[in-house]
Amino acid sequence: MLEFLLALLTTATVAALLWPLMRMRLPARDRLSGELAIYRDQLAELERERAAGTLPTAEAAAARTEIERRMLAAGDAAATSPKTARASDAVQKWLPPALSLFVPLLALGLYLQVGRPGLPAAPFAERGAEQPAPSRQMDIAGLLAEARARLAQDPNDADALAALGEGLTLEAGGTVTQPALEALQRALKTRPDDARILYYLGLHEAQSGESKAAIARWRDLEAKSPTDAPWLPMLRAEIARVSKAAGIEVPPTQTPQSTTPQPSREQQEAMAQLTPEQRQQAIRTMVEGLAARLADAPQDRAGWLRLANAWKVLGENANAADAYARADTLAPVDAPILADWAEAHVRQLAPGAVPSPQAVAVLERLEKAEPRNALALFYLGVAAEAAGNKPAALQRWKTLLALLPADAPIRGMLEERIKAAGG
Amino acid sequence: MRRLLFILPLLTLALMAGFFAWSLTSGRDPASIGSVVVGRPAPKLDLPALRPGEPPLTDESLRTGKPVIVNFFASWCTPCLAEHPLFTRLREREGATIVGIAWKNKRDDATAWLKKLGDPFKLAGLDLDGKTGLDWGLSGVPETYLIDGAGIVRRHYRGPITERDLNETILPFLKGAVK
Repeated sequence: MLEFLLALLTTATVAALLWPLMRMRLPARDRLSGELAIYRDQLAELERERAAGTLPTAEAAAARTEIERRMLAAGDAAATSPKTARASDAVQKWLPPALSLFVPLLALGLYLQVGRPGLPAAPFAERGAEQPAPSRQMDIAGLLAEARARLAQDPNDADALAALGEGLTLEAGGTVTQPALEALQRALKTRPDDARILYYLGLHEAQSGESKAAIARWRDLEAKSPTDAPWLPMLRAEIARVSKAAGIEVPPTQTPQSTTPQPSREQQEAMAQLTPEQRQQAIRTMVEGLAARLADAPQDRAGWLRLANAWKVLGENANAADAYARADTLAPVDAPILADWAEAHVRQLAPGAVPSPQAVAVLERLEKAEPRNALALFYLGVAAEAAGNKPAALQRWKTLLALLPADAPIRGMLEERIKAAGG
Repeated sequence: MRRLLFILPLLTLALMAGFFAWSLTSGRDPASIGSVVVGRPAPKLDLPALRPGEPPLTDESLRTGKPVIVNFFASWCTPCLAEHPLFTRLREREGATIVGIAWKNKRDDATAWLKKLGDPFKLAGLDLDGKTGLDWGLSGVPETYLIDGAGIVRRHYRGPITERDLNETILPFLKGAVK
C-alpha cells in the first residue's frame, strides 16, 4: 500500500514538472526575427523623432544607416549558423524532461536491484508481541530464587550452582560477574563436561580479554557436543562474534560432519528392547556396516574415529588401533584421542609383555602431548627397560609413582618393578 | 564570474565528498580528542572514600612508586559493565593496583553495583559532583588513566578499555615496558 502511494506521489511530481516543460517551448520566432523586430522599432522611433524635429536630419540619417548596417549583419550571422542553433534548441527542449524522468527511473531501477518488494511488513505492534520481554525478566528472578533455595539445602549442588552463575550473568545484562564466575567454577569441579558451565566460562574469558582461550574452550565444547545439540547454532555464532571482535582467524570446524548416518531414535529404541546378547550382536553388525562403508569412503576422518571408538567398546582393540591409525593419517589426532589410541594398543598386550614399536610410537606422541600421562609413563618405561635403557625406565616410573595417589592399587607392583630395575 | 557561482555548490559537494571519503578510509578516529593530562603529573586528588571505614583518596594514593590504574566509573554506565571483567582480571591475575572513582554516582548505587559484579579496586573514591573529573579532563565515564610510579600520567583511555588495550598497552605498562 505504501509503495503504491509513493509511486503515485512520484508520478504526480514528475507530471507536474513535465507538463509546463513540454508546453512552455522556446518561442517559435528565432533569434533573427527578434533582432529584426527591435531594429524596426528603432527605425520607427527615429522617424518619429525626425518628424517632431527633436533630431537634426543629418544625425537621423547617420543613425538610420547604422541601424540598417546592423540589420544586414544580423541577417548574415543567421545565414551562416542555422544548424548549431537548431541543435542547441533540441538539447534545451529535451534535457529538462529527460532529467525529471531519469531520477525516478533510476530510483525504481535501484529498488528493483537491491530492494525486496516481496518482504512482508513488520509493524511495530506485532514485533512487540514476539518478544516476551517482561516474562524473561521474571524468569531471571525465578531462576535465581530457585537456585538459591536449592543451594541453601545443598551448597554443593552443581546444577544449582550452574543455574546461579547463569542467573547472575543474565541479571548483569550478560556480563559474567565475579560471583557468577565463582559459582560456575565450583560447579565445573563436579560437572567438567556441562555445556552450560563451559559456555559461560568461555564467555567470561572473552569478556576478560582472553578471546583466544574463550574460543579454544568453545571449540572444544563444539567438538564434544552431539551434532544435533540445541545450543550449537548459538555457540557457533558466539565463536564467530568473539573471533571477529578479537581479529582471530578461526579455522573451519575441526570435526567435519561425518557422512555416515547416526542411529535414528527408532533404532535406538529398538536396541533398548533387545537382550544383552542380541544387543551385542546388533552393535557388531552395525559396526561392521560402518567399517564396510568406510572402506568405500576412506576420507571420512570422523567416521574412522567413531569406528575406532566402537571397536574399543566391543573389546576389539587391534581393529580399534587400526581405525585410529587411519584417522591419524588423514589429520593428526589430538591428546585425548592419542590416549584412547594408546590404550587400544596396550590392552592387546599380555601381562608383562613389551609394547610393539607401533604402540611405542603412539605412546611417545602421547607423552609429548601430556608429559604426566600415566599410561605413557608406565609403558614407555617398560619399553625402555626392555631396550636395556634402565635409567630412562626408572626415571619414568619414579615420576609416575610420585603422581599416583597414596592408595592406588598399582603402587605395589610399580615399586617392585622399580626395585627389580635397581632403583 | 556568474558561471563560477553556478559551479560553487558542485565544488562544495565535491569537497565534502572528498573529506568524507578520506575520513572513512584514512583510519582517522573522529572520537579521539586527545588528552592534556598525558605526560604530566596526575591532577589533584582529594576525595572521600567510597567504601565506609576507609581512608580518603589523596595524591599520596597515586605516588606509591608502583604503576597505578585509575578508573572513573558509574553504576549507571553500561560500557563500565563491559570493561569490568577486564579490571577484575587485572586485579586477580596480574596483581594490578587499581583505583576506582565513582563519578556522579550515589554512594549506595555504586557500592551495590560493585557488590553485584565484584570489586577489583584497591582504593575507591566518590566524586559525586564531578569536580575531580573536571580536573582530570574527564569527558564522561568510563575513562581510565595509567599512572607510573612517579605519579606521571602515561596513558588516558576515553571509553571502555578493550582486550586490545589490555594486551598492547596496559599489560606492557604494568611490566614496565611502556614509558
